[in-house]
Amino acid sequence: MSEYISGEKNSQPQEYCQDIDYNYFVAAAVIAAKLDQATTIAQQLSLTASNARAVALRAGERAAGFRPLTDFIDRLAEITITASKKINLLAAKLSKTSAAKVRADNAIKHFNLVFTKAADSPFINSLDSAFEHCKINQDRLTRAYQRQIGQLSEELAMLSSELRNAVILATLSRVEASQAGAQYQDALINVADNVEGAAGKIKEHIKYSQQVVSTLQ
Amino acid sequence: MKTHKLFENNSHTWLMFGRDDEKPNEIIDTNQYMVVSKSNALLMDPGGIELFSAMLAAVIKQVPAEKITHLFASHQDPDIISSLGLWDQALPSATLHSPWIWEGFIRHFGMDNITYAPIEDEGGEIKIDNVLLEYIPAHYLHSSGNFNVYDREAKILMSGDIGAALEAPEAPLFVDDFEEHIPKMKMFHQRWMPSNEAKNDWVNRVRKLDIEMLCPQHGRIFKGDNIKHFLDWFEALEVGLTGKNLP
Ligand SMILES: [Fe+2]
Ligand SMILES: [Fe+2]
Repeated sequence: MSEYISGEKNSQPQEYCQDIDYNYFVAAAVIAAKLDQATTIAQQLSLTASNARAVALRAGERAAGFRPLTDFIDRLAEITITASKKINLLAAKLSKTSAAKVRADNAIKHFNLVFTKAADSPFINSLDSAFEHCKINQDRLTRAYQRQIGQLSEELAMLSSELRNAVILATLSRVEASQAGAQYQDALINVADNVEGAAGKIKEHIKYSQQVVSTLQ
Repeated sequence: MKTHKLFENNSHTWLMFGRDDEKPNEIIDTNQYMVVSKSNALLMDPGGIELFSAMLAAVIKQVPAEKITHLFASHQDPDIISSLGLWDQALPSATLHSPWIWEGFIRHFGMDNITYAPIEDEGGEIKIDNVLLEYIPAHYLHSSGNFNVYDREAKILMSGDIGAALEAPEAPLFVDDFEEHIPKMKMFHQRWMPSNEAKNDWVNRVRKLDIEMLCPQHGRIFKGDNIKHFLDWFEALEVGLTGKNLP
């Protein structure tokens, strides 16, 4: 599994699927890394938007229809960046909870061993209160863990649906590009391709993250 | 994990835990010691995380958990105290006594509940019920912040890594033939101990103590004449070898 952690070995997320069985506190780190990549792509998208704005300005009246689209591209980039950062924070939180949960689970496991190994000890009951505390702690962490996973998958779904607009945006951009005249057409079509391409890549990262999350649920 | 009683009088008992036959092979065998007084117990160098459940199971056969009010870590090594994160859950109100220089490091093993009581460089003492135990400085042997625990009444010196031997877990408890024991100790002391000055300083300090048992964290315990043999041998041993002399 570890060789896939750093990501970009294969651009087809489906190929990862059988290897998606991460240890659960590694999983959160993987999601955070994926969303980091998404943020970088969204930042490039925002650059694309400002380039497009410049081209559209130069193209003048004939590209008038393109200008508002650049605002939409910008907005899409912004939404993606904000959401990615939020998801990143959630993933970091989940990672922390998971690590604490691993420690709590581990402690419980050790205690259970002690209860077997020292079953005949006259003092075995003296561990009861520490064990109770561990149990309470474990329960609390388990609940936090479930809640954070829920939040994470909700945020991922929201971002994914926002990105559906990218396809429409790209289509509209192509239509407007064709009106802009030969001199600017290629540059603006390139913008449309960039939007589509960036959104596609981000979606892949999200889809992969969603698959990771689903293994945790 | 086997338990041996090393000393007992009407105020306290010394126990040694070790020779764990369930221990994975790659892990160095360790001796853990515990002083049990009327209503408290001090667990010394409680060991690595891999050993935790075996240790707690052994300890809980001797005393109830709440009686273990004090832990001692002679230094920061993983075989000494990497189990801390689990003791922290088992004994939340205990106090850990350890060299002040290691506090920021040892806390990395996980310490949310236990209290850290730093030991000053010059040493000090701890009284559990009426039993007085002394921290004897043993810095750079091998760790740069390191203490032995001395019990004047029981005449026991818990010497940590000093006197350690690398040998099979089924080895006897006490050193029998000193000469035969040397090869098991030599490389360990030459390689892990960095300073002749620190070593000789420690030998001088320890010669002044009345000791009947010198108890290292690995290997066998020295008794009677073998303690003098060990101190003479250690004093004469060249340690901190470097370069092509690296043992
Ligand atoms: Fe050590
Ligand atoms: Fe050691």
